[in-house]
Amino acid sequence: MALSICIFAGALALIVSERFDRTKIALVGAALLLLTQTIDQELALEAIHFDTLGLLAGMMIIVRLTEATGLYTFIAIRAGQLSRGRPFLLVVALAVPTAILSAFLDNLTTILLMVPITFLLADAFDIDPIPLILIEVMACNIGGAATLIGDPPNIMIASATGLSFMDFIINVAPIAYFSTAVVVCLLYLAFRRRIRIAPEMRDKVLELDASRSIEDPRELKRLAPLLILTIVAFFVHKPLNLEPATVALCGATAMLAFSRQSLQETLGGIEWPTLFFFVGLFVMVGALEHTGAIDELTGAIVSITDGDRTAELLAITWSSSIIGGIVDNIPLTATMIPVVDSIAGDSGDNAYWWALSLGACFGGNLTIISAAANVAAAGMASRAGQPIGFVQFLKIGVPVTVFSTVLATIYLLLRYT
Amino acid sequence: MGILSHVPTLRSDRPLREAVETLQEVDVPALPVEDARGSLYGIFGEREFIEAIFPGYIKELRYAGFVPHSLDVAIERRSGCLDKPVGDYTNREPIAVTEGFSDAELAETFLHHRVLIVPVVDAERRVIGVVTRRTFFDIVSARMP
Repeated sequence: MALSICIFAGALALIVSERFDRTKIALVGAALLLLTQTIDQELALEAIHFDTLGLLAGMMIIVRLTEATGLYTFIAIRAGQLSRGRPFLLVVALAVPTAILSAFLDNLTTILLMVPITFLLADAFDIDPIPLILIEVMACNIGGAATLIGDPPNIMIASATGLSFMDFIINVAPIAYFSTAVVVCLLYLAFRRRIRIAPEMRDKVLELDASRSIEDPRELKRLAPLLILTIVAFFVHKPLNLEPATVALCGATAMLAFSRQSLQETLGGIEWPTLFFFVGLFVMVGALEHTGAIDELTGAIVSITDGDRTAELLAITWSSSIIGGIVDNIPLTATMIPVVDSIAGDSGDNAYWWALSLGACFGGNLTIISAAANVAAAGMASRAGQPIGFVQFLKIGVPVTVFSTVLATIYLLLRYT
Repeated sequence: MGILSHVPTLRSDRPLREAVETLQEVDVPALPVEDARGSLYGIFGEREFIEAIFPGYIKELRYAGFVPHSLDVAIERRSGCLDKPVGDYTNREPIAVTEGFSDAELAETFLHHRVLIVPVVDAERRVIGVVTRRTFFDIVSARMP
């Protein structure tokens, strides 16, 4: 057990240090555990959740194919135009599509799509783009919690538990969107002086020709019905007796079949490092489970909370939010899943899973390196000549994380205790 | 026809404005940049200038056909970059060949990198000259039977 804990803790420390690539760290950790026979090869293979990998790969293909049509750029530009140069409406117009897109696309893709358009709109209005980008990042991380496919922690939780797409919509989406709305309004109040738009600049945004952002209208006509069908299928996957991964992979396959885009380039767009990171991580967590370390951790939590359900829910929510924000919410979720599974036992009490989901997703706002979307936004801002500093982000990220986690806690206590 | 062009080199710590003026005076699309020790630092040319003068997010967009002419004025807000060191806008990809390079090595470099010149350096990475893509094309096409 000591070896599995040492390797896992060492890997986590290296991931936090950001000195090495996280995928390499996870794969080296898994390889060490296999070579030292801390976990045997068959158990390691069983520990890999192939449904998580399938769902991620399927969504990556769907995003890659539909993104090339220009559909999401069109949505972002139209949203910006609807604001008609009113600062509050502009914030809402950017935050709403960000939160909705992040619930269906992964957060990183959402940010990569929204940030360049935000810079463009800010240029048109001649205002500071950074407040708008910070609001988008926060809306993206909170809004991503809304659905089963919105954020990796939810995908992992669904794979481990069999909770359905509708389960997440009913239990997580209400508080995710409520928190997004409150946080966006508060951030608008905080930033309102920096995003004043001169009256003569207000019509500038109407000069953007949104229809020209659709790069390939024929491809969009081919793929849009399949995209809608796939989203509908996610809502009804349970009655159809289909796994979310099956829906994603079948949707991706149908799109590949009808698309005129290069198969090689599309499949090349799959983020293999992310998938291999999951493989390494699953093996490391499998070793923790196999050697009994997870049982020890569970025992520690149960003894601290004295088996009190409310205290357990609070412990899961806040530890996931804070630790997930500091470390990385993917390894945090991977470690917490067997712990929560053990605490929940056979009770069928899903509140523990919603606590984990909300904590892990909301924690993504803590620091500039807490989530891939934050890092990507900072990178783009830096390349655009307006870097976002670590402390500058922290000043917004910490209060937003604490506040949204407080909202999540109140929601959990009111609804599930 | 010699393959090597002898061109002025830019200093990474000199302002961008000076580099652009030098670039306007020569008939090559890019020039090698050297550091304070005289070693090759990178390449600065027309492409790097466009990247410096236009808003950074333009490069992040997949397509910019929907951006109106009125936003062309946005580049005026970035004229401050002309006083920054050219090293900040230099292409730092390690692109160079050493003396005695082969045609295949040049072809491979032009095919793998979006550059219009390849610096030729000595063992200490001091710039001897450059090969432009146009010169390479002229030499290769002249060989056609």
